[in-house]
Amino acid sequence: MPTFKLDGKAIPFEAGDTIIRAAYKHGIEIPHYCWHPGLSAPANCRMCLVEILPKPGQRPLTLDILALDPQSGEYTVKQKPKLQPACYIAAAEGMEVAANSSEHVRQARHDVQEYLLLNHPVDCPICDQSGECKLQDYWLEYQKTPKRMTDEPVHKPKAVVFGPTIVYDAERCVMCTRCIRFMSEVAKDPVLDMRERGNLNEIVVAPGRELDGHYTFMTEHVCPVGALTTKDFRFKARVWFLRTAASVCQGCATGCNAHLDYDPRYNKAYRYRPRDNEAVNKYWMCDDGMLTYKEAHDGRIVGASVGGAASSMAKALATARSLFAGVAPASVAIVLSARHSLEDNWAMLHFATVLLGTQNVYFSRRPDGYNDQILIHADKNSNTRGVMQLAPGAKQLRALVDDVGARRITHAIVLGGDAPVDASALATANVVAIAAHEGPLTQIASVVLPATSWAEHAGMYVNAKGLRQTAERALLPLGASRPAYEQIADLAVALGFARPASKLSQIRTQLAAGVGTDPVSRRGSALVV
Amino acid sequence: MEALDLELDAGELELPAEPMHLNMGPSHPAMHGTVRIVLELSGETIVKADVQIGYLHRGFEKMCERGTWAQVFPYVDRLNYVSPMLNNVGYALAVEKLCGLSVPDRCQWYRMALGELARISDHLTCDGAMAMELGAFTPFLWFVKAREMVWDILEEETGARLTHSFGRIGGMAEPPTPDFKGLCRAGLPKILDLVEEGERMLLRNRIFLDRLENVGAISRADAIALGWTGPCLRATGVPYDIRKAHPYLKYDEVDFDVPVGTKGDTLDRFLVRLGEIRQSKRIIEQVLERMPDEGPLNCDDPRVVLPDKMAVYTTIEATIQHFKLIMEGARVPSGEVYSYTEGGNGELGYYLVSDGSGTPYRVRIRPPCFQITGGLSKILEGRMLSDIVPTFGSLNMIGGECDH
Repeated sequence: MPTFKLDGKAIPFEAGDTIIRAAYKHGIEIPHYCWHPGLSAPANCRMCLVEILPKPGQRPLTLDILALDPQSGEYTVKQKPKLQPACYIAAAEGMEVAANSSEHVRQARHDVQEYLLLNHPVDCPICDQSGECKLQDYWLEYQKTPKRMTDEPVHKPKAVVFGPTIVYDAERCVMCTRCIRFMSEVAKDPVLDMRERGNLNEIVVAPGRELDGHYTFMTEHVCPVGALTTKDFRFKARVWFLRTAASVCQGCATGCNAHLDYDPRYNKAYRYRPRDNEAVNKYWMCDDGMLTYKEAHDGRIVGASVGGAASSMAKALATARSLFAGVAPASVAIVLSARHSLEDNWAMLHFATVLLGTQNVYFSRRPDGYNDQILIHADKNSNTRGVMQLAPGAKQLRALVDDVGARRITHAIVLGGDAPVDASALATANVVAIAAHEGPLTQIASVVLPATSWAEHAGMYVNAKGLRQTAERALLPLGASRPAYEQIADLAVALGFARPASKLSQIRTQLAAGVGTDPVSRRGSALVV
Repeated sequence: MEALDLELDAGELELPAEPMHLNMGPSHPAMHGTVRIVLELSGETIVKADVQIGYLHRGFEKMCERGTWAQVFPYVDRLNYVSPMLNNVGYALAVEKLCGLSVPDRCQWYRMALGELARISDHLTCDGAMAMELGAFTPFLWFVKAREMVWDILEEETGARLTHSFGRIGGMAEPPTPDFKGLCRAGLPKILDLVEEGERMLLRNRIFLDRLENVGAISRADAIALGWTGPCLRATGVPYDIRKAHPYLKYDEVDFDVPVGTKGDTLDRFLVRLGEIRQSKRIIEQVLERMPDEGPLNCDDPRVVLPDKMAVYTTIEATIQHFKLIMEGARVPSGEVYSYTEGGNGELGYYLVSDGSGTPYRVRIRPPCFQITGGLSKILEGRMLSDIVPTFGSLNMIGGECDH
């Protein structure tokens, strides 16, 4: 691989890489506002200026400047190297670039930063970006000087509503145009643009339009400062109180990698941010996906219930025991869930095939929805592919409705509460549901056991491309909920079986070994209760 | 236990005498800062004294790893809580050493003046309390009255009498008040008058002298071997004072003597402290002469020093600086440092490790009391029960400092 030198350090690059991208891939950050690895480079913020040293024997690119001599107080003509934007200059073999090591570059960064803050409002205390703002970081790193301007700063529109999700503050904006480029290049909806010039510059929405669609949240995420804020997160939390877990979006089968930001003091999730993954979502997420962090709290089942009334776990398990007394395994159905983790589904399948000995395996899922060519998948379940890998023969829920109608199935143990079809007919069967979220199946269930959601336990999910991804735990279990694999183990014990594996590590070992899907290990036995 | 009559036939009758075990403390008025001494007594003679610290434990060092570098100041206030300013200054110097900073001259003089005031308050407390515990209540009141005067000055300067939290990385919280020099010049003679009055009452008192002289003596070699520093070491005749041996701030530019004792007994420790009060007064007088009234107090490094409050409210640059320093803490360069100053009781050392972030990776203190208390059992054994109180008092053990 060819290399160039940045501050004397050899940096490898691929043909076509700019200096900033090659350095970024190598883990070195050249300060920047407008450059984004997933967008084109307009080179308009001037923060990434570097000095490219001339080749031996070549004349350097220089500028004539008037420099103030502090001793004499006179301006004299001096020459200074012409700096060039690292986001626009392609790296070349043997090129020598000076960034931190160049006094001119350090001065340029200082000056650019000073200009950017010239008209900036004193907003840090009320700004949602505060704590993760590039202006703050770069001031401390590259400027470190107080304000010199004594004039009243230019005032521009504040709290401009761009659309149903985004609010814009022109005074905080550094005109990097990342939002404009995101909308036109990634979302393919060039609805944002810039108007006026110089310090009257501001971002505007196209006349007659508002900033809407499926990718508006990303404009806030690419904003390096606090100019764009989402209505959802605005004034909700201060980022320095948040902790983050590497999670996987549960909105659809794409399985976008995400940071789930939560406040450990309140055990509450506050937002999703995209987590860069070149193989899945690159740097982006869709609006619907980013809002699915709310499912960590909305519609959660946090306590056991019997016949729709809240109950203790012990009573719920005792009821399940009496419901299943003396039932032949052939008339018991097991329903897996395309929205629960591989571990949960493995525990359920293991319970069905090894302990219970039933062949009646079905799976539940959310109905399909909107899709596009960018990120959004029609399948609104995070783990459909995983369930298909675990139990290739699992039947759709519609088949279960038919089987219950024909009285072939009288009892069912259900993971997850979703149903893509009308499931009210299942009410005639005796259903025990283990679910994190409320849904049609938990409504018709005789007994419901609370399971933890993806945010409360680590789990693996297989996306539509077949990529197995792990989501870390963020929150502590809400209410009385526990991971589904633990609830399944308790249910198995209540129904008279030996306690199956109920530790994440045990299940993962067996998952890796493929145990549980092996037909040879199946054995049938009548329920002994 | 064996039967008592087993050896009756063997010879003369000996009454069975077992050593008596006695707990002194941890909750005892003379056991400063909750220390427990488990005594093994033979009659009134101490056969063995097991000194147990740890009843005052806050996990000080661990707490420091939680906040920012600046948030350690309130914790160090509570190390030696009779001279918090010395701890503040010592910690500030340690962090500045790690940052490679030095504060302007005006701040160095100011730190010396405040530190020496704190030293006077420290020694007054120790000697006064020691006298009181031997029944001499009046001198105690005299000394504490003098201490109140010191605290009045410190209150005027810092706003707090005891726990000032006045040190800052790269300077002090506030510049000296306009009255500072006047308050010191007016207060110090009065303080010294009270000290002399109290001293006259004690040093002509036969009972007081008899209870101190030749009690709790330690040899130079033993004191050095135990790691003793400060007045307790100097009482044995070793003229080791960090202000002289390894000068910091401006101590090499002022004249003062290092009082030393001869025998290393309790009386010597009492007298060395009284001598140091006079030397501190000398130092403060020189500082007042030389400290400029104008000029910058804090260094101007924006990475560690907070901006002017008015600028924070009106300009974004200062807001950012304030935000970064308060929310993320001053970024101290990664590395480690050992910095030591002369605290009230001896060498107060800070060993700091930074990983380059705004939070200390490790704050380890070397409190002078810890080593000194370690020698207590050695100087108690063989003495009488009634010697414990003056001996222990003369070591000036401070529970907050012994938090280990």
